[in-house]
Amino acid sequence: MTAPASQESLPQRSRLALPASIDGILLTLVAGAAILWFAPVGMGRYGTYVLSLWLVMSIAVMGLNLTLGYAGLKSLAQAAFMGLGAYTTAILTAKFGVSWYAAFALSGVLTFAVGIVLGFPALRVKAHYLAFVTLAFSTLIWLVLRNEQWLTGGVFGISNINRPEFFGIKLFGALEFHRFVVVITFILAVALWWMIRSPWGRAFMALRENPIRAASLGVDTRTYTLLAFAIGSAYAGFAGALYAPLVEFIDPSPFSLSQSFFLLLMVVAGGSGYLLGPFIGALLGVVLPEWLRFAGSLYLIIFASIVMLLLIACPQGVSGLFERGWARLTGKNSGGKNSGGRKGTF
Amino acid sequence: MKSHWIMAAALSAGLGSPALSQDKVKLVDVIELSGAGATAGTNFKNGVDLAVADINAKGGILGKQIEIVHYDTQTNPGNTRAAVQRAIDEGAYAVLGPVFSGPISASMQISQRAEIAQIVAGEAAGFTKQGNPYIFRTSLSQTAAMPKIAKYLKETVKAGSIAVVWVNNDFGKGGRDAILPELEKAGIKVAVDLATEQGQADFAADAIKVKNANVDAVFVYLNEEESARFLRAAKQQGITKPMIGETTLLGAKVIELAGDAANGVKGHVGLSIDAPIPAFQDFGKKYQTKYGFNSDHNGLKGYMAVHMVKWATEKQKKFDKKGLADTLRGATIKPSDEPGILMETTIEQNGDLDRESFLAEVIDGKQVITATLPKIKP
Repeated sequence: MTAPASQESLPQRSRLALPASIDGILLTLVAGAAILWFAPVGMGRYGTYVLSLWLVMSIAVMGLNLTLGYAGLKSLAQAAFMGLGAYTTAILTAKFGVSWYAAFALSGVLTFAVGIVLGFPALRVKAHYLAFVTLAFSTLIWLVLRNEQWLTGGVFGISNINRPEFFGIKLFGALEFHRFVVVITFILAVALWWMIRSPWGRAFMALRENPIRAASLGVDTRTYTLLAFAIGSAYAGFAGALYAPLVEFIDPSPFSLSQSFFLLLMVVAGGSGYLLGPFIGALLGVVLPEWLRFAGSLYLIIFASIVMLLLIACPQGVSGLFERGWARLTGKNSGGKNSGGRKGTF
Repeated sequence: MKSHWIMAAALSAGLGSPALSQDKVKLVDVIELSGAGATAGTNFKNGVDLAVADINAKGGILGKQIEIVHYDTQTNPGNTRAAVQRAIDEGAYAVLGPVFSGPISASMQISQRAEIAQIVAGEAAGFTKQGNPYIFRTSLSQTAAMPKIAKYLKETVKAGSIAVVWVNNDFGKGGRDAILPELEKAGIKVAVDLATEQGQADFAADAIKVKNANVDAVFVYLNEEESARFLRAAKQQGITKPMIGETTLLGAKVIELAGDAANGVKGHVGLSIDAPIPAFQDFGKKYQTKYGFNSDHNGLKGYMAVHMVKWATEKQKKFDKKGLADTLRGATIKPSDEPGILMETTIEQNGDLDRESFLAEVIDGKQVITATLPKIKP
């Protein structure tokens, strides 16, 4: 379920895949941000809100994609980290009047630090056991959010969370806030794009593909495992810090264990280990159910069927499907599900 | 990889909103059709559909047919917000639902900003205390119901000590927070204060705790499925003390799921198809015929919500969204003016309701009303 490829050695990059495709990803991000900047014009507040929600979820999924898709660590705590970020921001801005920007940064720092602490067990346990550790953590966070009413508002949640200002421009309206979300998402996506291309990114992938070989080549597995997990968690924290002012209300329900599974589904459905996978995954998870509403009471059944069919037809997710299609179109040998490789990820 | 964005744009384009047709008035029901609130939400939805069918059959509101759309909230605050936003973008005349107070809290600012009435089925105390003039209830709030329960426990059940079993969500916690001070005022000792989980399957341990406490009565405040499971567990553990509830515990769904274990349950009911009011019973029969099962109080709430809209629109003689909310605020709707309201209902300035309510008991798998309680401010 994790990665589409399990090559013994890093595959040979095709001529097309090297610098050109790297730029292709960046260009897609720039073009996407530009389109999304203008997309909601005339779309109404509902459409704008759904687009913003999609981007916010994409940030959380990007983090999990780093943890799972690049570093191969199965985490079931992404929604809990998102909750930590959302509550940190909500409490700081709504109760203590702290600026949203400071709260946003603190949410990232806090989730990064907690990620490091929780990441330590990741050094000792792997695969299912790591999943259990993160599952326990997820439940723990949810219980704290629900039971510590003096701090978190308990089951009643926190309402009237203010939206930030941007150099004096109030982001109260749906369109203004959406554009703000576009900018933040773009910055975070580019940061991740840069990271994946850096030696860090290669180290993360080496860890996933063959940890023993990575260690023998001098990759400090302990540090990189921790880093991958902590950075992935910080992205969830950032997503939470945007989610709280977007919905203007939070309670524990969107940060429960089931939501962590849903985020995991988005990573896999979008294509784990592909840089643009999280956007597609979150599109499937957030926008598709909304779009299917025309089907009335059947919409969740149709949604579930689409996801199941997708994963049966293409275990590498939509990105993998696109890649195979592209390979066939350009006449290049897709050579089964693996040898297409992760274009643009190296 | 640009195709991702094309796909995004294509999907986004699909989110555009159709225009409101001229000869119809659009109501949007934003409701829990999946997730934890699905039982309550489905009842509410059916009640709304029944009301719309009745009204449309009689010529609609001011000559316009009602167009009703239901949007599922998945019992999730973020989705509810999206759905209410969509309703407003689509030009809804009023928003109906949801039931759970978390989703209500996440969406009520949207209808307030748009100055549209949102008529909800929530009973939790908090959301009408935030000064939002566009939120309206369809039932008594916990703050109104709990004093009646405490009085009942003291005067009728004559309980000196009690176990309070509640579900740890906004509904249960709200009810628990509302009844504890009332019990204290009535001089009833709370021997066990027991939190349970939403979706909990096994209540054996909770039932044993309650049994061992040897209290005079047990107050059960859980959602539908959990209520039924607790009643079954209590019966298995041989608890013989009176089980007292508020509306949900005596609801049709609980009686159906709990079977024999529901017999003997007593308490207060805000709305019931078994109430000694012919209009309620007629509604119950119509509902049963159409859907094949008995309506609980949420079905009645849905039915009344649509009729609140009808009454206020006919009163203001026009389709003015803001005027609808203004007309509802502070109004008293009588069945003689609007039969669909089923019983006289006073809407307070903050959106809370005042109306008669009932004491009931479950006998042989049926809810039997034993007394009618007057309005708080008759």
